[in-house]
Amino acid sequence: MSHNVSGQAYALSVLTPILDGHADELRAHLEDLEEGAASPLARVPGTHIARWVVIDDVIYQGAGQRKRDTLTPRLLFSSNFDGELGAYLEGLRTGMAGDADAIWSNCRGYPGHADGPAFAAWMHAHVLEAALFFAAYGGMTVDQVNSNLERRRRLLDLVLDGQGLPPADLKARFMEAFPLR
Amino acid sequence: MTNVEGRATAITVLTPVKPAGRVLLPLVFWVGRNATFTLKKLHMLSFIHFARWIVISRFPDGGRGERLHHPYLFFESNFNGLWDQYIDAFSEVVPARMKGIWGTSYGFPGPIPVEPFKQYIRKNEYVANHYWSAYPGATTTEIISAERVAAAIDDLRSRADGLSPEAFKAAYEQMLIDVQGNL
Repeated sequence: MSHNVSGQAYALSVLTPILDGHADELRAHLEDLEEGAASPLARVPGTHIARWVVIDDVIYQGAGQRKRDTLTPRLLFSSNFDGELGAYLEGLRTGMAGDADAIWSNCRGYPGHADGPAFAAWMHAHVLEAALFFAAYGGMTVDQVNSNLERRRRLLDLVLDGQGLPPADLKARFMEAFPLR
Repeated sequence: MTNVEGRATAITVLTPVKPAGRVLLPLVFWVGRNATFTLKKLHMLSFIHFARWIVISRFPDGGRGERLHHPYLFFESNFNGLWDQYIDAFSEVVPARMKGIWGTSYGFPGPIPVEPFKQYIRKNEYVANHYWSAYPGATTTEIISAERVAAAIDDLRSRADGLSPEAFKAAYEQMLIDVQGNL
């Protein structure tokens, strides 16, 4: 089994070379993206937590390091998501659409989102395999996490509002708050 | 530039690995994957949502990859709470594992004392340019607690139709006692 998997959670790490001279422009674009519910990542199904990071170069550790390295600038996209990689990449492509192009067109060889197989192949060619992936709740999908949090919140409301209610009213409130799933 | 989304915080670290790491790191991570104590220790650090380590021998470039003089160790974490508390906890709870993982990285000062360790992480950390969470207001503990609460609700709901109002009230109060530590 892939080391990128824990339960049903998948750790995707995509590291793509940035075109010469595009790093600053890309960084500025990413930092201007809307946040929260307006982020393009909110349109990618199954995403728990994700990030983009511009890596300009590797960091030299001083005289103790045998040789100094120089890295072609890279864009990291990492995501913790539900299920299979293929389905996720398709959701990434269709969910982000033009927003994907505005980001990855700054990277070498990006084919655009319109060509599904080429988009998936390009992503696959830049995926890194995790050595160790930890997921605290890898058995839970995003929908399950949010549903559980909502049910817990509704129970807290009922605890506060339901104090002193007659048993029949309490039961009715509970049944209303938690319809059978 | 943001490493914070609601209550979630991102860490992204990349460090060069000494020659010995080419041999030792695969063993360290094999043990991490196959001996459950490492993952159990991480569960004890109850504020981590997701974390990953990657050994990069070649940086992907669409072809054979860009090879540098050294392999690199990539680490990212998504946690709730403050950066300082997170590094403190790593240093205190899992120092031996930190040494095993970063011991072959150039410049690693060891996990204890914690201040040089923090300086090392800060020096080698990259700040996220965009960071997103599907549940920015929730901590790891809340998510795990909510699963227990939801299971108790489902259990009571499945029985509720057949209970008299009085029997329901007793079962409801018992459920609240059972899950009170998760509310």
